[in-house]
Amino acid sequence: MSILKRRHVLARLASFAMAGSLMATPALADDHYPDRPITMLVGYNAGGQTDLVGRAAAKVMSEELGQPINVVNRPGAGGAVAARELQQAKPDGYTIMFHANTVVNTAPFLMKRVQFTPDDFEWAGFITAYQAGLVTQKESPFDDLDGFVAWAKENPGFSYGSLSPAARMTMNEIAKKEGLDVNIVPLNGGGEMINAVLGNQVVLALSGGIHSKYPDQMKMVAALTTFRHPSDPDVKTIDEFGYELAMDTRAGLYLPKGTPEDIVQTLSDALAKAQTDPTFKQVTGSASIPIMYLDADKAKQEMVSTFGKHGQIFRNAGVEPQ
Amino acid sequence: MRRANVLSGAALAVFGLLMLIFVIPAQIDQGPPGMMSPRLVPSLMMGLTTVLAVLLCATNLRSVEDDDGPISRAELLALGKFGVLFAVAYAGYALIGPLAAGVVILLGGLLMLGERRPLYLVLLPVVVLGGTYLLFYRLLGTPIL
Amino acid sequence: MTQLIGGFLDVLNLSTLVWIAVGVTVGYVLGVLPGLGKATGVAVSIPLTFYLGPVAAIAMLIGIAKGSTAGSAVSAILLNTPGEPSSAPTALDGYPLARQGKAQKALKMGLFASVIGDFLSTLILICLAAPLAQYALLIGPVELCAILVFSLTFIGGLSGKSLTKGLIAGALGIFFATVGLETETFIPRMTFDLLELDDGIPLVPMAIGMLAVAEMAIQAGNMRALDMEMAQIADSGNPDDRRVTRDEWRRCAVPILRGTLIGSVIGILPGLGASVASFLSYGATRKASDDPDSFGTGRIEGVAAAESADNAVVPSSLVPLFALGIPGSVIAAILIAAFVLHGLTPGPLMFEQNPRMVAAVYAAMLCASLLMLVIGYFGQSLFAQVIKVPMRLIIPPVLFLCCIGAYMESGSVFAIWIMLFFTVFGFFAKKLDFSFVTFLIGYVIGPSIELTFRQSLQILDHKWTNLLVHPIALVFIVLTAVTLVLLARAQTTGKNARTKPRPTGAEPQPSTQGRNR
Repeated sequence: MSILKRRHVLARLASFAMAGSLMATPALADDHYPDRPITMLVGYNAGGQTDLVGRAAAKVMSEELGQPINVVNRPGAGGAVAARELQQAKPDGYTIMFHANTVVNTAPFLMKRVQFTPDDFEWAGFITAYQAGLVTQKESPFDDLDGFVAWAKENPGFSYGSLSPAARMTMNEIAKKEGLDVNIVPLNGGGEMINAVLGNQVVLALSGGIHSKYPDQMKMVAALTTFRHPSDPDVKTIDEFGYELAMDTRAGLYLPKGTPEDIVQTLSDALAKAQTDPTFKQVTGSASIPIMYLDADKAKQEMVSTFGKHGQIFRNAGVEPQ
Repeated sequence: MRRANVLSGAALAVFGLLMLIFVIPAQIDQGPPGMMSPRLVPSLMMGLTTVLAVLLCATNLRSVEDDDGPISRAELLALGKFGVLFAVAYAGYALIGPLAAGVVILLGGLLMLGERRPLYLVLLPVVVLGGTYLLFYRLLGTPIL
Repeated sequence: MTQLIGGFLDVLNLSTLVWIAVGVTVGYVLGVLPGLGKATGVAVSIPLTFYLGPVAAIAMLIGIAKGSTAGSAVSAILLNTPGEPSSAPTALDGYPLARQGKAQKALKMGLFASVIGDFLSTLILICLAAPLAQYALLIGPVELCAILVFSLTFIGGLSGKSLTKGLIAGALGIFFATVGLETETFIPRMTFDLLELDDGIPLVPMAIGMLAVAEMAIQAGNMRALDMEMAQIADSGNPDDRRVTRDEWRRCAVPILRGTLIGSVIGILPGLGASVASFLSYGATRKASDDPDSFGTGRIEGVAAAESADNAVVPSSLVPLFALGIPGSVIAAILIAAFVLHGLTPGPLMFEQNPRMVAAVYAAMLCASLLMLVIGYFGQSLFAQVIKVPMRLIIPPVLFLCCIGAYMESGSVFAIWIMLFFTVFGFFAKKLDFSFVTFLIGYVIGPSIELTFRQSLQILDHKWTNLLVHPIALVFIVLTAVTLVLLARAQTTGKNARTKPRPTGAEPQPSTQGRNR
């Protein structure tokens, strides 16, 4: 371990020193990949849900590849800062990023300054999905989205908690279609969302998945994914309710554009091992995060199709990037 | 303090006006109708700063009490030295690596502040850099760079 | 109760105690080192806890949080460089005390206040976690907005000599806090197209620049005078200057208890935090004192009030986490990760599913408090020697640690630029007597007020009459009005009092300028 660590430091020093001169050289395929430690960027702060899953995945992959994987947090702009740094890294498989795919398939439609497309990265696979949904208090008088709409028509001026412009758009589209009068309360982060729901400050809120930790206090009225949630299979998706607003978010590995195909494959295979790893399952299981592995090819397809689909949804709703 | 107050008041008033007239309109969009404008709070604060800064200027112009300036030459010199030190350290970071930057800050700082004893010049950077390495890489197991 | 005894049985074994001690020690050292603080400490330690058992891991992280909160008082007192904004009020009186040769006294009082605040607040967590958290939920955005406005007016009294300059500093603080994406519209504000600024100007590099690096520049400018002064007074011959006398205990008892109460309450409420607590406690103690103007020149009560509140926040911010699963602070958010990692889901279910485990964590927290007393007490006699070291040997390592602390916050050189920008800003603010205290408070509270106000507008459905269903908010609005009247009255009487000569026997002001700020 100590030798590895020291070599890591030296390697980093060397790479810092040479970064300028080597940046432009195209990467050559490497038979011995990996023969030194890999740096894994995470675009959120240490300790967050995605960071945790990323660290657990890094542990599995590191055992599989026989080299340490150092997790480095680069928070900022919902992951766009880390993604930009990844773009500038050498495409040799020694700098990778574990993150939610929203940076590419959602953020560009909301933020003018983020203009990533699926072609800006190589995709080594996705391992988990986020169970986004519309949630309410357990004791609410309605049980599904149709019930909520009926209730909301009787109660104009109700409050809805929104974490992001995407959450705002979802409610605005429903309100537009059904003629609801809604007050959208801006919330800052998942913790505040839980607070607002449990404290009865809002009637309904969009949760990124954290609600499944509060099964006794909250219930979901509609899943906002294209699939029904594995932890809540009885709740219909928003598409099933007839709104066509479902957007899937997954977490997985981004690689710099131009990373050799065999390295992409090696990393994709290593990531696949996480599906059956007991520690990884424990980490995701305790937070009710479903494991849904997509390999490199499927991940690329997923990115291309969701990029087009989400763009269409936002354009239809008249949401302009800010 | 009187002169310093007049000058800082004038500088702040100019800063506030620049922000109000140029920077805030250019850097903050008006925002959709029906919501509090994103410009509201920054504009309020800059307006308040400008008014108070003018007030500070005016009250001090009228006051007769005067004494030495609050900032000594030595302090300004020290701030300038810090600027040079960090500039060299950044060059070291960009050209060689983080370790070089650390050495520049420690060794350069010592030299700049007048330390000349060779023992301290060697010992301090070694102890601090070594201690940092031990703390983060060994004890906590977190590579910070 | 029997559960708690069982918990102690789980904790009182050598290996767990050693890990708690390691956590407290690491935290204390990180806290003492200027520039490094509790959030960085806990975040960088998470990987280490992968290898520990659940109780040891969580106890160690809590130990780090507690230790670093107490440790940050040391650099505030000895070097006037609070490692974290929440220790800034400690420096206001702690540093003058140190310059008077009473460093040991200030350090000891700081530690005792920290331990007492911490211990009592931990007891509050243990006894009242569940019921209190239910009440905390009643505090929604509308109530929070009223409480924040009240805190801002109350702390506004700290603004120093010139009210105009204090208000300017506060306005600038709020202004800088608006940089980044606005939460409601997600419209970027003054980011100059830098993605790094989307999440706003990060507090840690900013505070390091303003509080630590700027202070180092000022001290470098006055190095010779400082060293000479120190050579004369470092060794105070009077043993009373090295310990806390019975009389001082008597004077500090009320400030400590008040600080503990303020810290505990602020910790439970969502969205406030340690800085608000310590400033509020310091301000309240100053207001309650018979001679408010002597604060800032070396009143031991100031140290006691700030530190007890600062430390009381740590355990009580875990109340919403334990009882409801809601993180009340950055530490709590990071701890969630550690809990989840070890198969525990924070929240009410935790008490039913793992009562023994919860009891063990409680027991570990109490042990951490006591270990903190021991480790801090012995560590201090070591750290107090720092004051005899000439400044030229202290400044370079402090600058180095500041860079590391700023860098680690976001892992990028950009944070160092932020730090340097605010170094220049802080340098001029300090020298020109623009209170950095009000600047920081504006920075910390300003955006919360804006967001909670936006939220309140929506929740109240844009109708002021709906305020009537929020009695807690109404109480605080009335309190704010009362405070404003009292402040205005104090301002007029204070002016009369200030023209009178100072009572003799007050400590002589240190000769070098700008250091009692």
